[in-house]
Amino acid sequence: MIPGQGQSSEEGFDINKKLEELPVEIRLRAIDRLKVARLRHNRSLWTRILLVIALIGPGILVMVADNDAGGVITYAQTGSIFGLGFFIPLMILMVPTAYLVQEMTVRLAAVTRRGHAEMIWKRYGPFWGAFSLGDLVIANSLTLVTEFIGITFGMSIFGVKPLIAVIIGIAFISTVMLTLRYHKWERASLIIAFFNMIFIPLVFFAHPDWSLVAKSFLTWHISGGISTLFIYVLLANIGTTIAPWMLFFQQSSEVDKGTVPEDIGAGKRDTFVGACIMATVAICILVLTGTLVFSTGHVGTTTSTTSYNIAFILSTISKKIGTIPVELFALGLIDAGIIAAIALTASTSWAVGEAFNWPKSINLPFLEGRKFYIPGIISMLIAAAIVLVPNVPLGFLNITVQVIASIFMPAALLFLLLLVNDKEVMGKHVNKKWENVSIITIMIVLVSMSSLYGLSLVFPHLL
Amino acid sequence: MDALDGKEFGFIKNDKDWENFLKKEKLKDYSKIPVKRAKVSGWVKFAFVFLRIYIVIMLVLIILGFLNII
Repeated sequence: MIPGQGQSSEEGFDINKKLEELPVEIRLRAIDRLKVARLRHNRSLWTRILLVIALIGPGILVMVADNDAGGVITYAQTGSIFGLGFFIPLMILMVPTAYLVQEMTVRLAAVTRRGHAEMIWKRYGPFWGAFSLGDLVIANSLTLVTEFIGITFGMSIFGVKPLIAVIIGIAFISTVMLTLRYHKWERASLIIAFFNMIFIPLVFFAHPDWSLVAKSFLTWHISGGISTLFIYVLLANIGTTIAPWMLFFQQSSEVDKGTVPEDIGAGKRDTFVGACIMATVAICILVLTGTLVFSTGHVGTTTSTTSYNIAFILSTISKKIGTIPVELFALGLIDAGIIAAIALTASTSWAVGEAFNWPKSINLPFLEGRKFYIPGIISMLIAAAIVLVPNVPLGFLNITVQVIASIFMPAALLFLLLLVNDKEVMGKHVNKKWENVSIITIMIVLVSMSSLYGLSLVFPHLL
Repeated sequence: MDALDGKEFGFIKNDKDWENFLKKEKLKDYSKIPVKRAKVSGWVKFAFVFLRIYIVIMLVLIILGFLNII
């Protein structure tokens, strides 16, 4: 029996009356936290399992959402161009990289109980606050365009017209965000995220040569050697692993979930599991296309001059192993677009709310929290509308997203590092020396790579 | 909102337990609590100068690049 459970409260004390006294968003968070506290009071195996399940969420969501439609296409193209080699072990390296960066947002959220945008704005002033917010909102909106491209392309495999696909996408994402309060929103998003793992069984349809996959970890073989195309693809893969919006999303999500310092360990595990899922899905896509599509198309000097676009990749898979795997791939692409669109929409709403001190919680009912919901919903509607514009320069938009991310990345990482080393803010939860050394190394690599990538997109002959 | 069964949360028996719970779980309105501006000095000042230079250089290069593309 749970200690204290079943015991009567003291006369006159009513927990429901106490809850009613709290503002609505805090009341709903308090109920979630009461359930967590109840599980913590019990030490049985079953309640411990339930506690682990209750505390997962933002870490897995952010990592799975990072395998978005653009990411899935990038991995598919990478496998098609370079086969089973260098990029498979590289994805394993991305696990600690993504984990070390994202884990800091768990600590920041638990200790400060404030989102990343709010902390930058209030700790470093309106200039940097506005710069970060502006960059984030523009990058999120443009990334949403790529998610809707993924959704419409995936649905086109099932014969759904773009307009209908976009309407289904908008209706689904809005319903999840506007009708579910945080706990249910998080659980629904986790279920959607679960389907991102559709790429894992899909790889077995290809009957890959697992000895070649294992060998890639020993040789890190680069098909065709180090070339301009290799560097370009390398930069694109690293660019898809850590994006600025992820820092903002996870910190705000942890705040809305109610993460406190006691939950930091659970938050770290959640983030690590998420990073492992992200890498596993990426590797499966690389192995699938590396087995079936590698060396079947024309390779140019950049991805834009190769014949490995997603339509070619899917038609090659279809020719080799039939239509069912292609339909599963298309479902995965739709799911990747939807989960990322849910995360990006929430990220925009949280960041705007935090910057302007507006209400900022998915626990708010729509009417009470309309100021919070509207920025995210508007950005989604704009993105959806752009996808439907005939002859819209989608390639140009994709370049703009990457370029904005490359400008924003150093700032986002610098503020993260400053905040997490700020003793006044973090107290005993500041970074340890080895964490700073690791993060600064990662920062130097990521910043150099993302800057080079951003510049290479607008100066194609730079590499 | 469905009412909670108080017996299930018997570890909170009185006002003091409730206050402790709210405090431990940090359940308060943080938007009403001001955040102090950070003092920017030393290597942080240097990092901000570097960041501004980086942003300006990137913006100029990217504008030039986009002009080339268009």
